[in-house]
Amino acid sequence: MTSMDEEALVHRIARGDRAAFDELYRRTSPWLAVRLRRRCADDELVAEVMQETYLAIWRAAASFSGASVGGSAVGWVWTIAARRLVDALRRRAREGRLPLATLAAPDAPAAEDEALEALLGAELDSAVRLLSPDLRAVLQAMVLDGLTVRETAVLLGVPEGTVKTRARRARIALRRALS
Amino acid sequence: MNDEKHVPAAALRRYATGDPRSRADQVWAVEAHLELCARCRERLGEAVTFHSPETAALVAQVQTRLATEVIRSPQMPTYRMPRRVSRWAPPGFWARLVMTLLVLGAAIGLDLAGSSGLPPSVVLLVAPVAPLLGVAAVWSAGLDPLHELVVASPRAGLFLVLRRTLAVLAAVIPALAVAGWMTGASPATWLLPCLAFTAGALALGELIGLRWAAAALAIMWTVGVITPSVLTARAPWVLEPTSLPYWAGLIGVIAVALALRRDAYKELRSDSWFVR
Amino acid sequence: MVRAVSAAETAARTYGWAIHAEALRVRAGRRMAVDGLDLSLDTGVHGLLGPNGAGKTTLVRSIATVLRPASGTLTVLGETVNGRIDLRGLRRQIGYLPQEFGFYRRFTVREFVEYIAWLKEMPPAETPGAVQRAIERVGLADRADDRMKTLSGGMARRAGIAQAIVNDPRLLLLDEPTAGLDPDQRLQFRALLRELGTDTCVLVATHLVEDVAAACTDLVLIDAGRLVFQGVPADLPAAAGEDSGSGDSAAERGYSAILRRHREAQP
Repeated sequence: MTSMDEEALVHRIARGDRAAFDELYRRTSPWLAVRLRRRCADDELVAEVMQETYLAIWRAAASFSGASVGGSAVGWVWTIAARRLVDALRRRAREGRLPLATLAAPDAPAAEDEALEALLGAELDSAVRLLSPDLRAVLQAMVLDGLTVRETAVLLGVPEGTVKTRARRARIALRRALS
Repeated sequence: MNDEKHVPAAALRRYATGDPRSRADQVWAVEAHLELCARCRERLGEAVTFHSPETAALVAQVQTRLATEVIRSPQMPTYRMPRRVSRWAPPGFWARLVMTLLVLGAAIGLDLAGSSGLPPSVVLLVAPVAPLLGVAAVWSAGLDPLHELVVASPRAGLFLVLRRTLAVLAAVIPALAVAGWMTGASPATWLLPCLAFTAGALALGELIGLRWAAAALAIMWTVGVITPSVLTARAPWVLEPTSLPYWAGLIGVIAVALALRRDAYKELRSDSWFVR
Repeated sequence: MVRAVSAAETAARTYGWAIHAEALRVRAGRRMAVDGLDLSLDTGVHGLLGPNGAGKTTLVRSIATVLRPASGTLTVLGETVNGRIDLRGLRRQIGYLPQEFGFYRRFTVREFVEYIAWLKEMPPAETPGAVQRAIERVGLADRADDRMKTLSGGMARRAGIAQAIVNDPRLLLLDEPTAGLDPDQRLQFRALLRELGTDTCVLVATHLVEDVAAACTDLVLIDAGRLVFQGVPADLPAAAGEDSGSGDSAAERGYSAILRRHREAQP
């Protein structure tokens, strides 16, 4: 089981293999939990979203087989989770209680800068660092998390027009920083 | 992504604990990497276990809840009917196609039973209107339960109609080929009129609806050509080999007319005669 | 899932209303079913009320771009639908559940929604996740792989709602969506509507006043193809005024009073 990649695990889950499902959970739930907790301050909501995500994977594994397209091994798991998070936030927004993530505090220096720069690219690194937290949050939601403008608006709790304005400003700022 | 470079342990720990001191760009890099690298996800799991009890508790809690949910949740079947064929031939078609094949079978029977080769050949007479039974079902509110949804969809339009028409032709033309071979007719004599009537139905269908267009053309042909031909026991001049170039020309003209109209088949019919 | 963000996606919205109609006239058969309608609607859940034959279905069809207006202007998500426009791009952002909702009986719920997702030209990589999400949102997760012919009328209609929301549309048009739903299902449906209404323009055409009053942020009442009343549900009982119309609830009485007053005022 440990030698299988996630693709093979999903294939087995589709056939009702509980052990494969548990293994997929073991491998991906810490990653998913950490990532979700960074976007939503409400742990109960995060638990709800995670439960819905894995339940969806269990139910529809046969249609997710072969879903790791675009070079991302578990990106599709994130896509499911992100959309569930947006749906849950919409429900809470309607009820008037919106648990937003606290934005990352600005820039304390750390020792592993160089190693991480290699992962992202030095120029992009510093360009992203220079963005204000508002703009960064929009860019992260749209580019990294793959959300649409409307979904980003729900996630961040701001109007759609604001999201678009910030995205445009972020792109301009990045372009300027990279040129 | 460079697979030899992994996330340094301290950065991973800061990410796992949600340390607000991590820089945003570092977080970004870590997250992008984690989507691709199973090894680092494994290491993140260890970091969570050792350094972030809240996250670990959350993960355990969800696992417990899932255990009960998963037991009572039915799964999707692994084998499914290949429904892709419905992109070409929606379910409403098959009855029509079977009817068409029966008609062709009857035509062959008549031709073989009568003196074969003598005019009029029933197969040749029936060939132009053979696809019309199926074509009428391609875009019809009465025969397609999903019609309004299909018309309202982004994919509605001439291409979808052509796709479905191709499915009809894919069934009818081989049957006609067999029929033609059995009764000794040359392929062009049944193929060109068949295509011309199909294209004509599509073009006329833009004006009065495909179902009525197919019906009108079928009636016109039956009354105007089949009936006199059968009654006088003479092959009609429109099916003589000399008229084939005219059929080809007709197909060309109709095809151009179809290509020019881009907005066809994208709306419901609301004419006064054919109200829904 | 890192992706590229296009400039078009972040371009500022150029239109004021999701739906904007001015002197709209739409023919249905021989009648002019919508006859001089002015309407402006944006994000939120809007109820479209009116007696039978008022032109509700015709109006919804013209907004869904399946009926071309005879005259007047109709602008949907910023695109004027009279002119020669790219209907495909516009329709990808619309979800529509017709009143006469039919389906392929041998298809399962999942296969049906997948087929509609294909008709809506959704990217194939996104389709399985979107289909599962839509099915779960309407509460059909346990029946997802049962054939449509085994579903009750209310469940089939929920499958219809699922196909309407599978592409996460910006504009959602539902024509009599609660037909056949039992009271519990109606409650769940209203919760779904409220969730959708936070960032989508939802238009619900119905003749059930109570449904509308409970779930909608505002109401539009039409009769004989014209706008009669537009306001919030709370206005209905108030608008009845001195006359006591007929009906079991304050909302229904308000509705029939408004209707009667409008008709009496006609020349």
